[in-house]
Amino acid sequence: MPSNSKLKLRLAAIWCHLRGIGIALLLVGATTAVAVLLREYLGILRGSVLYLLPVMLAGYQLGVVPALVTAVAGVILSGYLYFAQFYSFRVASPQEALNLVLFMVVAVVVSHLANQAKRHTMIARKREQEMSDLYAFSRRLAAAPSAAEIFVAIQNHLANLVQRKVVLLSAADTGHAEGVPERLRAEVALVEQDEGRERTIDDDNGNTWLIRRVSPKTPDFGIVAVDLGGASGETLAGIRQRIDDALADAAATLERLDVARALNEAKMRSETELLREALIGSVSHELRTPLAAILGAATILSNAPALARDERLHALTGVVRDEAERLNNDIQNLLDATTISSQQVRPKLQWIEPVDIVNAAVEHRRRRLAGHPVTLELDSNLPIVRADPAQVEQALVQILDNAAKYSSDSAPIHVRARLNGQFVVLSVHDRGAGLSGEEKRQVGGRFFRGPRHAATTSGSGLGLWIANAFISANGGKVEVESEGVDRGTTVAIHLPLPGETAPSETTIDE
Amino acid sequence: MSEIPSSVLVVDDEIQIRRFLRTGFELDGFTVREAETGAEALRAATLKPSDLVILDLGLPDMDGADVLERLRAWSTVPLIVLSVRGSEAEKVRLLELGADDYVVKPFGMAELLARAHSALRRQLRAAHGEPLVKFGPLSIDFAARAVFINDQRVALTPKEYRLLQILAQHSGNVVTHQFLLREVWGNEHIDDTHYLRIFVRKLRRKIEADPTQPRILLTELGVGYRLVMADPPAATPSGPAAPKPPSGGGHQ
Repeated sequence: MPSNSKLKLRLAAIWCHLRGIGIALLLVGATTAVAVLLREYLGILRGSVLYLLPVMLAGYQLGVVPALVTAVAGVILSGYLYFAQFYSFRVASPQEALNLVLFMVVAVVVSHLANQAKRHTMIARKREQEMSDLYAFSRRLAAAPSAAEIFVAIQNHLANLVQRKVVLLSAADTGHAEGVPERLRAEVALVEQDEGRERTIDDDNGNTWLIRRVSPKTPDFGIVAVDLGGASGETLAGIRQRIDDALADAAATLERLDVARALNEAKMRSETELLREALIGSVSHELRTPLAAILGAATILSNAPALARDERLHALTGVVRDEAERLNNDIQNLLDATTISSQQVRPKLQWIEPVDIVNAAVEHRRRRLAGHPVTLELDSNLPIVRADPAQVEQALVQILDNAAKYSSDSAPIHVRARLNGQFVVLSVHDRGAGLSGEEKRQVGGRFFRGPRHAATTSGSGLGLWIANAFISANGGKVEVESEGVDRGTTVAIHLPLPGETAPSETTIDE
Repeated sequence: MSEIPSSVLVVDDEIQIRRFLRTGFELDGFTVREAETGAEALRAATLKPSDLVILDLGLPDMDGADVLERLRAWSTVPLIVLSVRGSEAEKVRLLELGADDYVVKPFGMAELLARAHSALRRQLRAAHGEPLVKFGPLSIDFAARAVFINDQRVALTPKEYRLLQILAQHSGNVVTHQFLLREVWGNEHIDDTHYLRIFVRKLRRKIEADPTQPRILLTELGVGYRLVMADPPAATPSGPAAPKPPSGGGHQ
């Protein structure tokens, strides 16, 4: 509670004074002991000036009040020791009384001067520290290569300045305002919207917080919340002035670095990214779940004896299944295209057996290729290569799809895997529509579809583009060959041999 | 299968998926129980053990891996995971956690049933111990550590035999690269997938009629290998299902 803490503060102040007075009296006592010794053993009878020493010390180290106490005690004791009747408090002559009064005045002046000198030294030292802090801060700002570093510098500098909590919120996270007391969060939002304003507000613990923008001109540089503690009046004004100075310096540096635009862009980018991820996630789940149910149910129906008896009905279950599979492939293409266009293709490289990739892709499209006689010509002695198996398979699947799509129903498709120089080449040859010179130049572009086929064959124009992107990401290339319209097409995936050679068989077989 | 129908616990939050799985399994002679959430699945598995669990990974309340881990803490029930495409790393993780196999959505019922029967057979074999297994033309005599193709003895190196033996012990179900590498070459070679590529190629030359068209030792791209019966009873219509038994007699 505030009243409680104020009481505690006052008690502490009183204790501080009492301690000062106590130390002052001890000093006077020590001086008296020295004076008595000097008098008894060396016969020094005029030593009252000795008492100026504790007065000066007290004035310098302990403050005015202890110094005055020292002076009064010194006067009384020196009167007792040195004037008229020794060892008595009686003052015998006006001469002695004048001496005592003069002593008193000198003591007070000396203590005051000592105290002044001390205060000036302290203030000078503090100024010097502040100046060097500010200088270090400016230097750090000037050298900061990024906005993030500037923010760290601002936060450290302010925390150092006020010796209390400082929360710096970048424009992106003012929404959460972590580290700021609950009831101040609304203020953060207000300051962000309201141009150039700053606010001071008390939190639940009686501390005053200053909330303002780093730069009064723009909220892009973020909002800063500083716990000013219980400061008030002149102290508060001083602290605020210094905070203003530091932030003005920081804002100027931020402007110079043109980070406003960069920060804005980063914020927008991260939002787009979130949206994209959400889309991928929900498309993936929301579309595939019903598809899985449709496809699963269709496979059960196609095996059901009741339907197996009627050829036409049985064929219909095949239609359901094929179309569901096609839809599933389209969804996969859409997701792949999204991944590719956001430059998120990150191959997970593994040692792969090229023949495995071909077999998996052909198996994947077994139903799609059903009408075509597929011949495989696979070299059983190919070197193993390093690539992402799923991506290479997906690329080959796209190429097989195209081969089936652009050749007549019973036209053969020939798949080869062979070594060609420094590449393992997986190629698909069809005897279908082929490519004209113009088509060959454009094929592989995103959404490109040959105008000849637009009316007769469905497709998105993504297939070869996806294949190209996946294979390039894996360090290979896709080449398209055709001898002309209606003379078939050969599409070949070239995968580079790895620089490192796989160990020989004997070393691992023991 | 055996006289007593096997029971399967289907864990999926989508009612349409549960419906077709129920029908598919019932037509194949299983008794089916369903659970919608991970918590419900764990409760159901504890109250009344099943012979088989089908676990979807996208449950609303728990991560599929958590369900699997907690189940595996006390149960060795055969378990097949329903996963989505493009998450090879996740599949591998679940297999390492003790799933017997996976199918990728969308999948055909025949595929799931084949995996399910393999997993059930493995459980059975583990219980009885089988000295000899056959995969089409391939037979392995575990006692004599001998391998035959069409009754002709095939000479294998010790590591080749070990590889084949591990695959045979999981016959029909996938075995991850990591598992094979650890079991055959030891922990320090767990990332050396090229060892496997080389050895599988050598093995295929010895046991497959056409090594480039394997029928017995199949590759699961990015995940592992599986050993299958050379000529699977190609999607035989499961025929009229055995009449549904009265409920309650499901498990052993």
